[in-house]
Amino acid sequence: MMPLNFAILKLFTDGREACPDEVIEALRPVYGGFKALNRKDVLTALMTAESNGLLEESRFDLDDGGDVRLFFRANSDGLAAINRYIR
Amino acid sequence: MAQTTGAVHQSPAAAKQRLADNFRRRGIITAVMSGVTYGNYTAFMTLAMSVGIWVGWYGEDSGLTPFAVAFMLSALGAALTDTFSALWALLIAAWKGKLGDFGRSFKTKPGAILACAALIGGPFASTSYVVGLQQAGSIVVPISALCPAIGAILARILFKQPLTPRMALGILICLGASALIGMTSMNGTEAHPHMLTGLFFGFAAALGWGIEGCVGGYASSMIDPEVSIAIREVTNGFSNLVIMVPILALIGGADGFQIISQALCDFESIKFFIIGGFACYWGFMLWYKGNAMCGAALGMACNGMFSFWGPFFCWIWIGLVFGIDGWDMPFIAWIAALLMIIGIFTIATNPLAYFARKKGN
Repeated sequence: MMPLNFAILKLFTDGREACPDEVIEALRPVYGGFKALNRKDVLTALMTAESNGLLEESRFDLDDGGDVRLFFRANSDGLAAINRYIR
Repeated sequence: MAQTTGAVHQSPAAAKQRLADNFRRRGIITAVMSGVTYGNYTAFMTLAMSVGIWVGWYGEDSGLTPFAVAFMLSALGAALTDTFSALWALLIAAWKGKLGDFGRSFKTKPGAILACAALIGGPFASTSYVVGLQQAGSIVVPISALCPAIGAILARILFKQPLTPRMALGILICLGASALIGMTSMNGTEAHPHMLTGLFFGFAAALGWGIEGCVGGYASSMIDPEVSIAIREVTNGFSNLVIMVPILALIGGADGFQIISQALCDFESIKFFIIGGFACYWGFMLWYKGNAMCGAALGMACNGMFSFWGPFFCWIWIGLVFGIDGWDMPFIAWIAALLMIIGIFTIATNPLAYFARKKGN
């Protein structure tokens, strides 16, 4: 089992695009008991990764509640960095 | 694309921009707060080292050699603060359910890099700073304030973070403001026989803190900042208390472990070290988090305001609350604080874009 933030980043190394809710759903089976597996903390982790070039924003829309939904993916540089640091 | 059904109608682009602005604002506030809490950490560590058993150690009849007083006691003060900070970090990580991630992260590549950065920014840089001050005097203060500039340059080279001429100008303004406070609080420059050696150590301190700031910030984009800081403080507390202080004591002809146990049993000072450790936890955690959220250049410049917050909170806590003389704020510090704010704004925002927006409106 790897740290939660590692797992969040590693999720994107298969080329997928995901928003915070999709990240939470994907990680729930293993990390469901983690307090930090919530929309606010996951979004902060994703936006921080974006600020450091690990992920990039792929698109955005509004969800049914009118809240903005950001989707992220790893570009080739980000993918290389994630795989270099997280094994 | 999903349709808007919420009570407040907003375009996706506007909502997304608001989210991005909010994230950036939170990053800047986090980085500024790191300087505020760092100022409190400085104040409580200084206060702890001014009371109880420390009064005797710094007195004329302490029986300690000048080397032990200058170096070992400084390292001991930092070691006790870091150790209590490490305990706070573990306690908070446990409370937030992140203690497991602390153990798991320590064994990973980013965790090991973070621990190395902590050693460079902790024992190495702090000791270099003290040695630099001893050898070259106050000129070392502005040299050590180069750390945000070094952090920004390293982040540009290592992590491809942006560093525009405007950002460099902002860093330069902050550097000048820090230098203003440093030179004033230490009564200007004096002639020192080992000036070059002192300058070398002052630059080594700036390099150490610059490396820690940019590497710690980048690592905190992979490791949760609350876990990052637990790694930093456990590494620093342990290495300072168990390795650094005994080595400096040995060189200074003192019994390091006896001094450590005496310091730990002195309730009058230890309560302030515990509070200082709590402020230290927040100071460094917010520093890493701020650097991760808004980049090393802006994050470290915002944190650099600690050169104002340090004297400010020493004045508030030691001078006003505890009534100890000699901690008044020099007027120039307020001017420098204003300069720093201008510097931070120069890094964070493009004034031309602001005026262009106003014109557009």
